[in-house]
Parts: sequence; C-alpha cells; structure tokens
Amino acid sequence: MTTGNAVAPRRESGRQVARANAIPSPAWTCRLRYRLRVALREPTTIIGLFAALLFAYLIVVPVVSILRDAVTVQFGDERRTAAEVGSLTTYYLSRAFTSPVAANLFWQPLRNTLMVAAGAIGIAVVVGTAIAWLICRTDMFARQWFATALIVPYMLPAWTFALAWTTLFKNRTVGGQAGWMESLGFSPPDWLAYGQVPITLILALHYAPFVILLFGSALRRFDSQLEDSARVLGAGRGAIALKIILPLMRPALMSAVVLIFAKCLGEFGVAYVLGLPVKYDVLATSLYRSIGSRQTGVAGVIAGAIMLIGIITILIDAYLVREAQRFVTVGGKGAMNRPARLGIWRWPATGFAAGVYAASVGVPLLTLFLSTVMRVPADFSWSNFTLDYWIGWNLPTVAMRTGILLSPDLWQAAFNTLWIVGLASTCSGLLGIITGYVVVRTPVRPLAAVLRQVTFMPYLVPGIAFAAAYLSLFAVPRGPIPALYGTSLILILALIADQMPYASRAGISAMMQLGRDPEEAAQVVGAGWLARMRLVVVPIQKGSLMTGILLPFISGIKGLSLFVMLAVPSTDVLTTFSMRLVDYHYTQAANAVVLIIAAIAYFGTLAAQKLTKTNLAEGLGS
Amino acid sequence: MPAIILENANKSYGAGSPNAVSNLDLEIANGEFMCLLGPSGCGKTTTLRMIAGLENLSGGEIRIGERVVDSISKGLFVGPEKRELGLVFQSYALWPHLTIERNTDFGLRLRKVPKAEREALVTRVMKALDIEKYRGRYPSQLSGGQQQRVALARMLVVNPGVLLLDEPLSNLDARLRLEMRAELKRIHAEFGTTIVFVTHDQWEAMTLATTIAVMNEGTLQQMGTPNDIYDRPANRFVAEFVGSPPINIFEIGDASHDVVGRHAVTFLTARLGPDADIGSLGLRPETIQIAGSADAVPGGSFADEAVVTGILPTGGSWIVELTSGGKKTFATANEAPRQKVGDTVWFHVRPAALHVFSRDGQRLERADDVLAQAAVQ
Repeated sequence: MTTGNAVAPRRESGRQVARANAIPSPAWTCRLRYRLRVALREPTTIIGLFAALLFAYLIVVPVVSILRDAVTVQFGDERRTAAEVGSLTTYYLSRAFTSPVAANLFWQPLRNTLMVAAGAIGIAVVVGTAIAWLICRTDMFARQWFATALIVPYMLPAWTFALAWTTLFKNRTVGGQAGWMESLGFSPPDWLAYGQVPITLILALHYAPFVILLFGSALRRFDSQLEDSARVLGAGRGAIALKIILPLMRPALMSAVVLIFAKCLGEFGVAYVLGLPVKYDVLATSLYRSIGSRQTGVAGVIAGAIMLIGIITILIDAYLVREAQRFVTVGGKGAMNRPARLGIWRWPATGFAAGVYAASVGVPLLTLFLSTVMRVPADFSWSNFTLDYWIGWNLPTVAMRTGILLSPDLWQAAFNTLWIVGLASTCSGLLGIITGYVVVRTPVRPLAAVLRQVTFMPYLVPGIAFAAAYLSLFAVPRGPIPALYGTSLILILALIADQMPYASRAGISAMMQLGRDPEEAAQVVGAGWLARMRLVVVPIQKGSLMTGILLPFISGIKGLSLFVMLAVPSTDVLTTFSMRLVDYHYTQAANAVVLIIAAIAYFGTLAAQKLTKTNLAEGLGS
Repeated sequence: MPAIILENANKSYGAGSPNAVSNLDLEIANGEFMCLLGPSGCGKTTTLRMIAGLENLSGGEIRIGERVVDSISKGLFVGPEKRELGLVFQSYALWPHLTIERNTDFGLRLRKVPKAEREALVTRVMKALDIEKYRGRYPSQLSGGQQQRVALARMLVVNPGVLLLDEPLSNLDARLRLEMRAELKRIHAEFGTTIVFVTHDQWEAMTLATTIAVMNEGTLQQMGTPNDIYDRPANRFVAEFVGSPPINIFEIGDASHDVVGRHAVTFLTARLGPDADIGSLGLRPETIQIAGSADAVPGGSFADEAVVTGILPTGGSWIVELTSGGKKTFATANEAPRQKVGDTVWFHVRPAALHVFSRDGQRLERADDVLAQAAVQ
C-alpha cells in the first residue's frame, strides 16, 4: 500500500518530465535533420535533383545563352561595335530594331508573320467551325468518316502541302522543272505561286484540324438542356446559335486560335519553300538567314523576340483557360447529341466537307505522288509515266542517277532519322515518366514545381528559336564540353529538350492517374523503392511509356525546324534530306521523300492510336 | 501493452494552412477494434496515414508497440515498408496488372517465403474470405465487394500486428456493406488483429468498434465505447454528429421561447446554483414522448405544448415534427402516431434523458448527477 503510494506519484512525475521534454518544439537542427531524413529516405528526391540539373543544362542554359548573345559583342564584330568580344552592347538590338536594315531583318518578317497567322487563323476558324458543326451536330452524310479524314492534314508535315503547291503552281521565277500550271500553258502570277497567299492557305488547311478537334469536342460536351431551355422559352434556332451556343463555345475557339498562332510563329518549312523565291520572310526564316550569315547577335535578338511573343501567347492562353472555367458546360445526361436536320442542304454540306478534304488531303497528296511517277509535268499520256524516280538506275541525269529508293543517301537519312529520333524519343519518354514520378511523389514540393516549370519551358520557345539557342551554346567548346555542332549528339539533345513539354506532361498525368494507392499498398506490405518500381509502377505505366515515346517519335520524324538548323549532311535526316533535294531542284526526289515521311507519320499516328487507345485530341500540339 | 501510441501528434501541410491534425494523443490497446469517426476533413485519414507511415509528422511522436517509428525530437522516421502493418485503402488499390493470387501473395514473395508455405497461407486466407475461386482472375474482372476482400486478404496474409482500414466499406452498396461489416467483426475475432478503422458513418462505427475516437477539425473530441459516445457525448459536436435523426438542441438564450428549456434551466439552477453556466440542452429524438393532452404527461417530466407539423414514415418507425414557439423539434416513434398534422399535443421527456452543455459546448457533468437523482425521486 505504501509502496504503491510512493511509486504512483513518481511514475506520474516521470511522465510529466517526459512530456515537458516533448512539448516545447524541438530545436531547428532537429527539425532539419528530421526533414532531411524524410526527404532522403527514398531516392525519389535525389533522382529529381539530378533530373533538374539535367534539364537546367538542356533547357535553361541554351535559352540564357542565346539571350546573352543578343546583348554581348560576338566574335568578328569588334570593329563594328568598337568593343571587345564578350562585352555588353546594344548594337544587335539597334541593328534589329532601328537600323536601316531593321525593316528587312525584323519588322517586315514580323509583319509577314502576323499577316500570315491572322489570315490562317481566320480561314481555319471559318472552315473548322463549319466542319465541326457539320460533323458533330448535323445529319450530314459520312460524318464518322469525315471526323477522321479531316484530321489527316494535321498528321502530315505542313511543308508536304508547300511542295504540292509548288509542284502545281511553280512559275518561271524559279528554275528547275516547271509547275503543272505552267506546263498546261497558264503562267501563275508570283502572288499565287509564292509568298503570302499560298503560305496563308496552306497553314490554314494544316491547322484547321485544331479548330475541328477543339471546337468539336466542346460542341459534343455541350449540354443540350441549355439549348432546350432556350427553345422552351421560345427562342428560334438562329437566336439559340447566337445567344447560347456561340458565347459558350468562345473559350474553346479562343484556345484553338491561340494554339494556331503559337504554331504559326515557329513555322519554318512552308515559309522556306514558298517564301524564299520572292524574298518573303517570316520571323522563323529571318532567324534562319541570320544564323546562316553568321550574325549570331542578331539571331539572338530575333530568337528572343520570337520567345517573347510565344510567352505572351501562352500567357493569354492560360488566362483564357481560367476564364473558360467560369462556364463549365459538361452536362451529365444532358449531353445528348440531337443532330440538326439539314434537309435539302444535306448534299451541299457533304459536298463542302468533301471539298475541304480534297483541298487539304486528296489533291496535295495525289499531286505529289503523280509528280514522282511522271517525267514531264501535267502530261497524262501513258508514255510519260515512269517508276524511274523511285526505283530506276543509270538515269541520264547529272546527279541522283538512281531512283530515290535505290539511293544510299535516302537509306542513310532514313537510318539517321530512325536512330536519332528514336533514341531521343525513348530518352524523353523515360525522362517524362521519371519527371512525372518525381513531381507527383517527392516530399520536397519546390523541386516538383521547378521540374514542372523547367520541362514546360521549351513549349514557350518555337523550335527554330530553340535550335538557334542550341547552336549558340554548342557551336564552340565550352568548359569540358567539346563543340557539338555537326554531331548527332546535338540533334539528340535538342530533340529531347524540345519534346520534354509533352513527355513530362504525359508522365505527370499518367502518374496522377495512377494515384498513390497502388504504390502505397505495396509499401505497406513491405516493398522498398526498387521493388515498387520493378513490380508495380513500371508494369502499370507500360502503356503510357509507349505513348510517351511514340507520339514524340512521330512529331520528331516530321519535324523540320530543329533539324534544319542543327543537321549537317553527315547527320541528314529525312526532313533535311528532302529540303536539300528541294534546294537542288530535284523535285521528284524531294516529293518522294516527303511522301515517305507523310506515310510514316500517318501510319505511325494510326498505329499509336490503335496501340494505346488514345484519342488524337490528346496528342494535339505535339 | 498498447499497440499504438500517438503522443501530441501534429500534421500541417505547410505554413498558413490549418493543421490537419493538432495535438493528438491516442492510445490504441492491443486487440482493440478502434474506430476513428468524424466528418470529412476532420483529420481521421491523415491520422491513419501517419500511423502507417505514409505521412510524416510535423510534431510529436508515434510508437508502435515498444518501437518509436516517427519522432521529430529524436530525428527518427521508419518507413511504411518497415512498420509491419496492414492497410486497406478506400479505393482498394489492387494492382491491376497482377492476378488475384499474385496480388495476395505479393507481400509473401517480398519476404521470400518458401513456395509451399506461401501457397498454404494464401489458400487459408483466400478460403477464409471466400475468394479462392477468383485466384486466376484480374482485379478488373471482380465486383467491388470481391475486390474489397482481395484487398483485405492481401494484408491479412502477411499477418500484420495492426490492420488499418480507410473507409473500406464506403464504396459498397448497402447489402454488401452489411455483409462486410459482419465479415470484419469475424476477422477481428478470428485473427486477433488490432484494427484501426476510419469512417464517417456513425452506424459503421457503432456496430463495429470496441472503442470510438470522434475527431473534428484535427482534434480528438471524445474517446470511449460506442455506448459512451451515444449516451454521454462529451460536447455539442459529438452529440450533434452522432445520432440520426440528429439530437434536438435547445439554446438557452435570454429570450428563450421554449418551455422545456425554461423548465429545465429553472430546475437545474435551483440545484446547481445561479452560476451553473448552462449553454444548451440536448434531447435525443427517441427519448421524446408525445401525449394527447397535459393530463397525460407523467409527473416529473419536462413538457411543452406543440403543434404536429409533419409526420414522416421511415418504414417501421416515424419521425414526428413538432413546432412550438417557432422552434422545430423532432421525435421518433416506433408506432404510428395517433395524431394528425395540425393537432395540438404535449411532448415530454424524463429529466435523465437530458444532455446539458456549458456555454462553450462542453458536457456539464455536474448536471448529470442532479438529473439522474430527479428520475429516482
């Protein structure tokens, strides 16, 4: 009894002492130690740190480097700037913006870019909304078929159409084989053959699928109860379209417009093929010329300007997306699709859609194909047809004495394309999944934010500006890194960086979708980090990894702007090979190569969709 | 020996946001079926995840058995894979790429248990949970209830000392939920595991738990047996959260209209003194009786006249809505009420059925004795 009494208070007080020690918040060193222990318990954070360093080097440093070029004296410009190499200067800024040549270097290309973009957007929106409405909301014939067929232009490289256009409309301004029109005795004027009109039309047809996809999916999700409510209140069809549907569709439409603008900004191939003969420069080609004529400083200024416009565009888009959330029109059961009856307009509507298909897919591809099997343009007599350009040998030409399929250059280029683009896509797909994993899992939130932002950065920078940045950084040896220009490594690195926005997006969303639960369940039953990776995360993410590799691969195969800056003849890929053929006026060979690329891109996209059951709209923009 | 101890546990998700869990002290005894009950966002799932090691503490300490598994002052954190617990997720979180058998023996394979022993264990648990026939199937081919069993089996097979369940029944339909409740109770008895169960469903907590811990806004409100929680709620929050239809609350303001409230306050202040600090009264609907007239009210009850403003049959029982002085009171009856809507009646309660709360919402313990004695008189 006494001992019990004696022990109890002591135990009580002992407990109190322990509590008194525990309650005051532990010293910050303790907290730091604890936090480090939690953060470093798993390799996630370490991997994330390495990834962040890698991306800083692949993405941030090149961009900073080209911006620095814009304001520091470049080698060879000491006399003109009256300053030493490397010192700060405004010479390039004033040369690009205020000097007598500024109009040629910057202002005229800027005006042209804006004009082309505005025209392309206008046409794409008109055609695209009409098509989207016909496909989604009417009883037009063959809606299902058109829904896929009219997206095809986007799967093909844009300059496929530029080459088709020149094949048809080329006039005497440029040498080489004559265009079909010319051969038929009609000489197209320059304004129709080159420059603004064809560039605008081609970009419009190429990017109309954006509008069809974005506007179409918004239309499909549109809650028809909203429409019915207006109808019940006595609104006519016109009033409903103007006052209900259109205002609600505005965000989707604006989003498509911004996307097209951003794409036009970096578009190189079309302007190069169709603008060059009449000296019609856009920003991308002006940048290319500056690099070509070794005006690195001016190139830096133009690249900076393109990035700035790109960033502003994306900010506008982000703002619009936020706005769009104000009207969420996703209806539960309301989203029934009640097609409008077109009545006697059914045939004309179908004819319109077929016309758009013919103009944007049928005619260009047919033209390109025919041009590769005909000796003389636009002569449809039987004897004029030949397979020589594909599989002939000992041809009576100065160079390219074999058909394209027998040319070792083609196979070298195809091989280069496959391994360079393939390796880069595999790397970026893997890096994307790793980024996704770290972003979703690391307990160090700032690291997640940094990774997310940095991998997104290349999205703001059109490919051509990004390539210029790589050139500026890797053209000369820097520190331990030798000059990479002319190697395939620079292409691979630039491609990886360029593809990171899509790869990391795909990775993050895949990891988000997976959620924490499956991995945590494994953790609870005793699986360490490696076991979880091997047994749970990687097997489940196999599909997304495939998508993350395939989609960049396809866009890489048809990509031009990166390669045109960074590739040299020994690292030719299919796209630059075809550009070289265009430059040498081997029209048939160039067209054949483009057809090959188009076929790979098209069937690749289809295969990727089949394989991963993804929708094209998701891969949009890649 | 307690299975789990949380001492002054805190969790915050960054400065600025309110603590998800604050100053939580919790002792879970060995073999207990402990239920963490509370509305969504009350910190119950966070608490469970902290025990599992899927979240780390922002302050305090957690011990499992003898072992400190998480402590800031000791700079110690044991990862979930080393805590030897089981956790069943709300979403089940079965691995979609593995068959049911591989899902179940995952933990055993990690522990490199020999094949024969592994198969024997898996078969035993699968049989106990009646999922043996799905061995070769994939999770997507199973219904919600079957997936639930697999999620349980996968954890039980490694024989964890503690089994944590995060709202495991909330995705099941009513009938399956009832079956699984019985199943869980059986497992608790059969495997002798300590179970910590998170739910926002009071009936689940009442029917399953040996101890309930009610949480709100990151703090522990009351811990006790299901009967304790229902019959002697420690504060207004517990009283109002547990019980359906919810408890009737009579605020004791200066301009109180209701006669019951005034009667009770007069009764209590006479016995407890004028500074009794009575803030509100609670009346469980099933303790309220309805009488046709004042004469039928038994002596010693608190009573008030009211108009029947609604009768809602709920199948086997009835909820009666009574209005007096603009205030609505709900009573439940197990027999069809004889009154009709519009009738004037008297409702009354025994003093012992009253819950008295102070002005800051705590249970006024002193009042309980006084009211209990009133019943004896």
